Amino acid sequence: MITAERKPMEEIVECARNFSRVLLVGCNECVTVCAAGGRKEVGLLASALRMHFMKEGKNLEIIETTLERQCDPEYIDELADSVGQVDAVLSMACGCGVQEIARRYKDKHVFPMVNTKFMGASERQGVWAERCQGCGDCVLGITGGICPIARCSKRILNGPCGGSTGGKCEISPDVDCAWQLIWDRMKSLGQEDRYEEVMGARDWRTSRDGGPRRIIREDMAL
Amino acid sequence: MEKSNNTFEPVVVAFCCHYCAYTAADMAGSQRIAYPANVKIVRVPCSGKVDAIHLMKALEKGADGVYVAGCLEGDCHFNTGNIAASRKVTKVKILLDEIGIGSERIEMFLMSAGMGRRFAEVATEFTEKIRNLGPNPVKAAADKAVG
Amino acid sequence: MRYYEKNNSIKGDTEDIRQILVIGGGLGGIRTALDIAETGRNVTLIDKAQAIGGLMTQLDRTFPTNNCDLCTVAPTLSASGRELHIDIMPLTQLQSLEGEAGNFAAEIETAPRYIDIDRCTSCGVCAEKYPECVVFKPGLDPRAPTCMRYPQATPFAFAIDMDKCTDVDGLVNACPAMAIIPDDKPKTTTIQADSIVLAPGAELFDYSLLDNYGNGILKNVVSGMEYERIMSASGPTNGLLQRPSDGSQPKKVAWIQCVGSRDINRVDSPYCSSVCCMYALKEAIVTKERFQDDIEATIYYMDMRTFGKDYELYLNRAQNDYNVKLVASRPHSIEVAPGTDDLVLLYTTDEGNMEREEFDMVVLSTGFKIPADLIALAEKLGVELDQNNFAKTSTFDPVATSKNGIYVCGLFESPKDIPETITQASAAACRACEGVGRFVQQNTADELPMERDVRNEDAKIGVFICDCGENIGGVLDVEEIAKYAAGLPGVALAEVVGHGCSSESMERIESRITSEKLNRVVIGGCSPRTHEAKFQDTLRKAGINKHLVDMANLRDQNTWVHVNQPEAAAVKAKEQIRMSINNVVNARPLADFTLPVNKDVLVVGGGVSGMTSAISLADQGFKVFLLEIADKLGGIAAQVRRTIEGDDATAFVESLVKKTMGHENIQVLTRAVVVDHAGMPGMFNTGIQFGPRMQYRSIKHGATILATGALPNKPAEYLLGEHKAVTTQLDFDSVLEDAPESIKELDNFVMVQCVGSRTAENPNCSRVCCLSAIKNALNILDLNPEARVFILYRDIRTYGLYEDYYSEARKRGVIFARYNPETPPRVNASGDIIEVTYKDQIFGRELVIEADRLILSTGLIADDESTEDLARIFHLPRTGDGYFLEDHIKLRPLDLPVKGFFVAGTAHAPKNIGECVTQAQAAAGRAKTLLAKDSISLDGAVAKVNNNTCAACLICVRACPFNVPFINADGYSEIDPAKCHGCGTCASECPAKAIQLMRFEDDQILAELEALLEVIA
Repeated sequence: MITAERKPMEEIVECARNFSRVLLVGCNECVTVCAAGGRKEVGLLASALRMHFMKEGKNLEIIETTLERQCDPEYIDELADSVGQVDAVLSMACGCGVQEIARRYKDKHVFPMVNTKFMGASERQGVWAERCQGCGDCVLGITGGICPIARCSKRILNGPCGGSTGGKCEISPDVDCAWQLIWDRMKSLGQEDRYEEVMGARDWRTSRDGGPRRIIREDMAL
Repeated sequence: MEKSNNTFEPVVVAFCCHYCAYTAADMAGSQRIAYPANVKIVRVPCSGKVDAIHLMKALEKGADGVYVAGCLEGDCHFNTGNIAASRKVTKVKILLDEIGIGSERIEMFLMSAGMGRRFAEVATEFTEKIRNLGPNPVKAAADKAVG
Repeated sequence: MRYYEKNNSIKGDTEDIRQILVIGGGLGGIRTALDIAETGRNVTLIDKAQAIGGLMTQLDRTFPTNNCDLCTVAPTLSASGRELHIDIMPLTQLQSLEGEAGNFAAEIETAPRYIDIDRCTSCGVCAEKYPECVVFKPGLDPRAPTCMRYPQATPFAFAIDMDKCTDVDGLVNACPAMAIIPDDKPKTTTIQADSIVLAPGAELFDYSLLDNYGNGILKNVVSGMEYERIMSASGPTNGLLQRPSDGSQPKKVAWIQCVGSRDINRVDSPYCSSVCCMYALKEAIVTKERFQDDIEATIYYMDMRTFGKDYELYLNRAQNDYNVKLVASRPHSIEVAPGTDDLVLLYTTDEGNMEREEFDMVVLSTGFKIPADLIALAEKLGVELDQNNFAKTSTFDPVATSKNGIYVCGLFESPKDIPETITQASAAACRACEGVGRFVQQNTADELPMERDVRNEDAKIGVFICDCGENIGGVLDVEEIAKYAAGLPGVALAEVVGHGCSSESMERIESRITSEKLNRVVIGGCSPRTHEAKFQDTLRKAGINKHLVDMANLRDQNTWVHVNQPEAAAVKAKEQIRMSINNVVNARPLADFTLPVNKDVLVVGGGVSGMTSAISLADQGFKVFLLEIADKLGGIAAQVRRTIEGDDATAFVESLVKKTMGHENIQVLTRAVVVDHAGMPGMFNTGIQFGPRMQYRSIKHGATILATGALPNKPAEYLLGEHKAVTTQLDFDSVLEDAPESIKELDNFVMVQCVGSRTAENPNCSRVCCLSAIKNALNILDLNPEARVFILYRDIRTYGLYEDYYSEARKRGVIFARYNPETPPRVNASGDIIEVTYKDQIFGRELVIEADRLILSTGLIADDESTEDLARIFHLPRTGDGYFLEDHIKLRPLDLPVKGFFVAGTAHAPKNIGECVTQAQAAAGRAKTLLAKDSISLDGAVAKVNNNTCAACLICVRACPFNVPFINADGYSEIDPAKCHGCGTCASECPAKAIQLMRFEDDQILAELEALLEVIA
């Protein structure tokens, strides 16, 4: 899941300052699950914004809506009527959603209301942690199901480095050393010997280094 | 009691859980313990039912102060609703500070059903606190804009 | 709710309605009556006081949860008022009894209340103007702060003491409801009863009889109950701690234990009152909690008897977290410090020294005493009493009195605390119902008109404003409020109805709904807490869904508290009415769910408790599946040979096994384990594997009783398992039974208490070991009078009537020596002999005994493995030490938090065989109340998920305090209405706003806010 966090109010207020009618759009996917941009957060933010501007003597009109998903054109189309009535769109979706709105409604300002953080998992209620960087060439099968790219601060493929102490990473005692985790996992799987295998240099073109990526599925083409 | 300029009568909304705070309010009644009429009670089954949006909406619509009153810790009829409510009040406090309304306008109180006196004390003290804070800036600005 | 005080409402004497009589309306009597009524049988509950509730309603807080008592007891009390099959007769006592079981004729007399209970609105004018006339009897100050005995009295009406009233005419005229009946007379009636349950309670020992504690003259010496009243928020000082002499806040308070108990020197009683140690700890903790270092709390005790479930943890908390001081001692007397109101306590320490210490206040922990009127009652009933005037019962039939058809529960049976009273009450209800036919339930739903579908109608709201006599009308201009309401949108009519809850007004509201085709109702009156159910009934009778009414609490939350600001009160009243209108406009009709009930019962555990529950259910025609993990029935009790009373436990267990195996309604499955479970109360489905080949089978059942027992503890201490002279009390039972000759050849027996109990690893007290030790000590002396028996102990916990055996053991020369847990006894094997070294408190030095036998009181531990598995499969919580945790430790000791599950026996906490039998009967009784109904009705005010918007985020699944929501196969959250408790936590946490709590939906709440604030914003 993509995780996100609401931007500081100060920044949000500046986005909205120059408009009198805005559309605030939530997304019922990832940002709902991580409680950053679902229907409830839309209601809370709308209320907060209205109050902030009312206090300044200004009346900001906000249309509130939440789409099933902001990263598909069909859903974005649903906004056409309301977008027509406003000066700007405030999106509570991840960066994908913001860009899809911008792509569809070319003459409208679009502002992100959340900072998109990472692809992660929820460790428990209210706690999310990074798990994947979308590198395009998954190695989890040989690292015991623990990703050295997302979870090692240095992304090294043959760790640990000298900064691993007592199972923790040198950047913070709160960060587990991914390679320690990989070793522990290997051990419990009885595959200590596989740890000895050296991973070769990696072709990072599958990741961001190859420029923006896309997936084309000919078999699905209509 | 429409506002003449020099006498500010705050409007306070109190979300009270059925099993403790609402009962405590009734108890204050049966013991005839006075508290300011400024306090208006909204009954909820459990303080855990109170949504952050309810708290925001009350202020947005012009309440000068809002509080949630639930059972004492460990006494919640639904085990942990009061703890959930406290968390939500904290969240809204932070948001209110961020938008310059001030976190003091909202509070969480715990009391048992037998605490009629405590209910009245809380109602009185909170009303006085809001009276000293002055009107909800949202409402004040709106009034100025109109008049 | 039916209260019978008037002649015309009493059932005709000749009418042959089978019913059960419950005498005493304290907590035990209420529980008994509720249980009986829930099985569909009729019950009459009589109590000599003007309101039911008994002693508990006077307490400030209860141990060990320190809950406010009113909060915990009030729902039970109002439930007892609502129940259809219960007739409550306050101010009523039994005069005589004739007949026999199945056909008793009881003559009862109801004293005059001088108030018409149907008219009294509890406004309190009589108490205000003529306080001397109003009956009120709490501790200390009788008049404050309200004159109800407690704020939620049932019935909610006053009573007058005519003898004390000098101005009768004035009083009659003062009552705005015209409810005073100055010439009210006592009424005598005869009622037929199939069986009778005695729950008359007991009274507290009168400490003014003790000269050494000041004969009740010393102002700053109070009883525990009086201290409760001082601390109580509804007490005479409104909860301020003030000592009686000068109203100052005490800085040093002492509690003296065993006042009137465990002594025979004066007017005291020889038995232990069982509850005083815990209540003294509670009072000390609550005091320390409130005043912390500003107050010093010291308890003077002989033995600290915290033997109940998790009570030892409470004792540890008192000492470690609250710094309550405990002094093992024998208090001698209290004197006044010259020239002050302060007190000096003289006491003897364990070492034998006389000490003195000054205190601002002393609390006497007084115990229970059976009053003379109960002794007279027993005589009228023909029920035998023991030497201490408690009702005689037997070990294996613990709630049956000596007279067939008469049962007993609570304090009249023996001193006990609230959970044990409730347990006995349910057991007594269960026994009393045997052989009493069920009242044929009239299907009330058939008599009610069809509900009108109002969903598509425009709002037509009827607003009815009560004046409640002067209560509302004295402060507000109700006509003006009604006029205002009439002008609001959606309001079809608005009118003043006087006392809205009077039967005339109710009828009027009902007819107005019908004639004006109203589809919503707002009542401007008192609290929905007390009256909503009444008005809901009215709507239902008028053919409208009961959830379409809302109450504006104009009385309790307006006129009563804003009496001095009539203008502000009027503005607020209009706001309240607006809010209610907006709420009810958005209200939706809700259907209450009904589900069919499967009447079979699954009992897990084939020990004494499981078999007792199974037989009790099977005898009444319920089919029972009894699972036992071992290959035969019997459990741990099969190893206990004889009870402390001398009853043959082996024979008892054998008879149970025989009866269980031969019962046509019981199917026994041995070597059986539970592997899966699904369903809801009334229709469970549990998968088991059983038999030598672990065959799988699924069982459908409506209720479940867990009676999985506990295990004998065998800690590797004191050479247990290493030396043949070392044994446990339980194993020693068999030696005494099977090899009595061997005892005669030995001289020294040493017993060590609390081995493996009250330790860091197993913090609780095992409850049974002190009794086992004393039982075995007495048996040794029976066999070998020359033997020397030493019991090394920390506190001797022979609670209740078991104290007699402790006294006997001391009298017969058993040597009791207290050891300090920091310096426990040491043992050393020396050939066949064990040298036991312990520090003697009196001599102040170490002594060595050469023991021929070392018998360890190792007690019980939870069967962690099986309770853990079952807790996981059934979604049940456990205590820290692995016992099942009941729904409410005080008021629902038998019900587990998952509805339809009940617990019995040592799976709940350690207890002896008799107590297991009681709890097993009680659990069976509770199961019967659930299974008595053909269908279960579940409230419609539950959470509902909108599948279209649910993001399956799991937040509700994690947030629900009762683990109800789950993500279903279709990929969205599902909330089972049968399991939902209706708190709404999920609805307020849902990030997709996909959950609404019915009756409290967001649009209802927001509309209320809008109604309040629209004028302002």
